[in-house]
Amino acid sequence: MTELIRDTFRYRELIWSLAVKELTIRYKRSVLGFLWAQLNPLLSMLVLTLVFSKIMVNQQPHYAVFLLSVLLPWTFFSQSLSYATESIVGNADLIKKVRVAKLVFPVAAVVSNMINLLLSFISLVLIMLVLRHPFYWTLLYLPVPLIALVIMTLGATFFFAAANVYYRDVAHILQIVLQVWFYVTPIIYSLEFFPMKYRVYFKLNPIIYLLNGFRLSVYYGLLPTPQSVIASFVCAFAALYFGFRIFRKYQDDFVFYV
Amino acid sequence: MNDPSISISVQNVTQRFRLIQERPDTVRELFAKLARKRTGYRDFEAVSGISLDIRKGEIVGLIGRNGSGKSTLLKMIAGVYRPTSGTVVVNGTLAPLIELGAGMHPELTGRENILLNGLLMGYSKETMRERQQKIIEFADIGDFIDSPVKQYSSGMYMRLAFSVATEVDPDILVVDEILAVGDFTFQEKCFDRLRSFRALGKTIVLVTHSMSQIEDHCDRAILLEKGKLALDGTPEEAIKAYLGVSAIEEPVLVEAPSPRA
Repeated sequence: MTELIRDTFRYRELIWSLAVKELTIRYKRSVLGFLWAQLNPLLSMLVLTLVFSKIMVNQQPHYAVFLLSVLLPWTFFSQSLSYATESIVGNADLIKKVRVAKLVFPVAAVVSNMINLLLSFISLVLIMLVLRHPFYWTLLYLPVPLIALVIMTLGATFFFAAANVYYRDVAHILQIVLQVWFYVTPIIYSLEFFPMKYRVYFKLNPIIYLLNGFRLSVYYGLLPTPQSVIASFVCAFAALYFGFRIFRKYQDDFVFYV
Repeated sequence: MNDPSISISVQNVTQRFRLIQERPDTVRELFAKLARKRTGYRDFEAVSGISLDIRKGEIVGLIGRNGSGKSTLLKMIAGVYRPTSGTVVVNGTLAPLIELGAGMHPELTGRENILLNGLLMGYSKETMRERQQKIIEFADIGDFIDSPVKQYSSGMYMRLAFSVATEVDPDILVVDEILAVGDFTFQEKCFDRLRSFRALGKTIVLVTHSMSQIEDHCDRAILLEKGKLALDGTPEEAIKAYLGVSAIEEPVLVEAPSPRA
């Protein structure tokens, strides 16, 4: 774990420039450029808001805020995973020619999505202003779930990036997993829709504790319980620990399989 | 490494690869294979049990037929491959020039790649900014410096890669067969630079199929044969041994570098 911190610090300039590269390449030669990263969650927000508040007549006021408060962190999580899973294979050209700490690639993928996430918070603020949703003081709590989210995302990306080197199926499986995961996580709906006895099953989902922190502080103006905060950090660090361990174990052999 | 005059020490290194022997093309073939258990792999020793010490200030040429293990050995020295067994100790900073250009991204411009390449080699952003102008001057590719590298000719690509690798002032330069794509003037410029490198006590390891380059520029030549060290001596000795061997089996000694592999 010290290796992770040391190398991340040592290669910080490289990670940053890889992250920026990732974004510039993705949006180079496209007219709307960076806006695409913003449009994606906004469009799904629009559709979902329409479906949930008009067609299904949902009681949730300010559904857009309700949704975006967790949809944005979720998008960060799932996009980071998608980028990072391809990051080792996608940078085969570099890995085959220069000796470099392999962790810079998944970390850079997470950082580039981090930039997107922070930018997308701007859209959230704009929507809150439009809907006149109150800005609670609990917004100050946001960095806490954000840190836990980044730690957990890193852990998951390390695992998937390593696995995808050996089995390219991983990238495809991941897309399916993410889709299912999206629907079984209370993102577009609230946990309160379900009777008490079913809610227990949701607690098995490690990401729910993190996302909950976002929704409570942004939408409800509440803080999560200490248990939930502890649970989110336990899940996050467990993910990082196992993810990085696996990554580290195999990183020297990546070059032979990319 | 105790001896400070040694810049690269290779001790009994072996590199074993797992080669994919036959690839199932259809799902049916795949299941057929799985049923018969995995037999699609074959172990191949690209380099076996090589030991050598390279001293500071030496220009060493690596020669041998295609598939003799030159590039594999070079990649182990550059730290790209971790040897299956044995050790490689490198004393000082190293700049690799492997397979046409060391770590460039085709979508980025030449200028952007200078920074990326430098950072990959472990230099700071500041260092790269300072040296950028000199790198661009040496590469001498005109306005192309601000075009994406994917639009470069292989010669331009190599010019840029060589400029970056030498302008960052490494202690050791590892060059794999890339000089072949440069035009005559640029090749001369490159060798001038290599000579001044040696004068500064820097070490250069060069893989090439050009016997005249070995003869004109190297202090020492190493001949590899089927992954083993066949000869380690003066350029004349090595060339004689090499041509003696391959004149029968492989009369043409030209190996075209793979385009941006």
